[in-house]
Amino acid sequence: MTDMFFAGLDLGSTMTKVVIIDNNEKIWASEITHTGAAHRRLANKVMEKALEKAGLSFNSLALVIATGYGRMSVPFADKQISELSCHARGVVHFLPTVRLAIDIGGQDAKGLKIKDGKLEDFVMNDKCAAGTGRFLEILSNFIGIGLNELGPISMKATDKCSCNNVCTVFAQQEIISHLSDGIPIEDIVAGLHEAIAMRTVRMVRRIGIEPDICFTGGVAKNCGIVKAFEESLGFPVFVPENPLLSGAIGAALLGKEIVMNNGEKDVTIKRPDRHLEAVSFFK
Amino acid sequence: MAWFMGIDIGSGTSKGVITKDGESIAVEILASGINYNEVALKLREKLTAKARLDPKEIAYAIATGHGSKNVSFCQEQVSDIRCCARGINRIYPSARTIVDIQGQSSQVISIDEKGHVINHAASEKCATGSGRFFNILANVLQLELADIGSLSLTSNKPIYLNTGCAVFCESEVVTRVSEGVPVEDILAGAVKVFAEKMGALINRVGMRKQCAISGGGTLNPGIVKALEQKLKTQLLVPQQPQLVTALGAACLAEEKWQ
Repeated sequence: MTDMFFAGLDLGSTMTKVVIIDNNEKIWASEITHTGAAHRRLANKVMEKALEKAGLSFNSLALVIATGYGRMSVPFADKQISELSCHARGVVHFLPTVRLAIDIGGQDAKGLKIKDGKLEDFVMNDKCAAGTGRFLEILSNFIGIGLNELGPISMKATDKCSCNNVCTVFAQQEIISHLSDGIPIEDIVAGLHEAIAMRTVRMVRRIGIEPDICFTGGVAKNCGIVKAFEESLGFPVFVPENPLLSGAIGAALLGKEIVMNNGEKDVTIKRPDRHLEAVSFFK
Repeated sequence: MAWFMGIDIGSGTSKGVITKDGESIAVEILASGINYNEVALKLREKLTAKARLDPKEIAYAIATGHGSKNVSFCQEQVSDIRCCARGINRIYPSARTIVDIQGQSSQVISIDEKGHVINHAASEKCATGSGRFFNILANVLQLELADIGSLSLTSNKPIYLNTGCAVFCESEVVTRVSEGVPVEDILAGAVKVFAEKMGALINRVGMRKQCAISGGGTLNPGIVKALEQKLKTQLLVPQQPQLVTALGAACLAEEKWQ
């Protein structure tokens, strides 16, 4: 059988992710770019970059699936699938025995309960910045420490300071008062990580906490949060090599499954008029 | 002849009142700054000067609010819940529910005919449930805090904001501005978000008529209107809503002394 290719595009609030796989589920290329104000409209550029890496043309893609917050505005996708389904599929690909998946992105946090590889239940916070990547982004900016350095710094904490304020706005003031009390920054950062973990654990408790546990989304790149999760969940937490890609990989895999299942029925899902064009919000 | 003092140290401003025979004879409002005892001493100095008194002539003083424990010269500290309840009861004896909107938190207090607290619920975990929300909006829209309320009242098409989070609201407001939505419609939408939060807080305590409001947040006429629409009742609005809690502290001081 000749190779077929499938692309998943996850247009998140903060990052746009593209993954291209073949029918053997081998990853040919992946691309991650800041969604930003301009790139929100230029999802096609991100797709172009991924195609270039894979050495493929857009027409060679058997199916393009869009997911994430901005999925409805991707004109070159054949189909849109909700991010919950895509994340669930992606996580099962990373860790087949997963029962609880936690995904913390730029503007939301999700808990997915998975049984036998299928999504059974979920909880979500997209109403409040606390407990999302946004919380860390604002606080890292505020204390002048890069987002990527928060994890390593918190690992040096010797006496974790408890941070009572869950609200992102109030947490900034709390940081000032801790700093003026002479508390070392690593103890404060560790306290903030713990606050996020506790908040998320309270949320996922509603769907049940069962191992194996997989943690994805941009925030999973922070080793301090991973540690805080392991302490408050009481179980080891698995983080895939590239935790940002779970949605895009899941979308590509679901695309592949749709084509493979339809192959027998000989139904075309690929849109004949599909072009790699810029995103438009004003159609 | 005896005089009494109430000192209310808030997160943003500090308020002081001197009373005599239950009537306030001197009031003062200062920015709290970072040294709460210092601002309390300054309040006392200004208040006694206004009332032409020597500080020694104050028979009893009560400190309340966020920074009350730092005040060195008061005989007693009392929670701002009790002081606010007492203050409203002094101004509006018919009030049974109080919505108190402060700089960093808000609370709903249910009181009896004597001004005693029956029930209480506070929103202190979320910036949207406090005056802080409007500071953030004023900042992002480059407006004066004092203008927000009256500007929101000129809107006849409030927008719907998707979020109840001050941080997400800030981003959404920027988006709406870039879409060309008039600023008054954005503000009116934000005021509605706030009124929803307050409505939920009032439901936790239970609404009993009449309902009065207090606290600096109340100076925003947009909030008053949105709350009146939400509660479907007319609110009792004191002339100087920021001073209610300090007045209540002075009234409690007077009762204590007698």
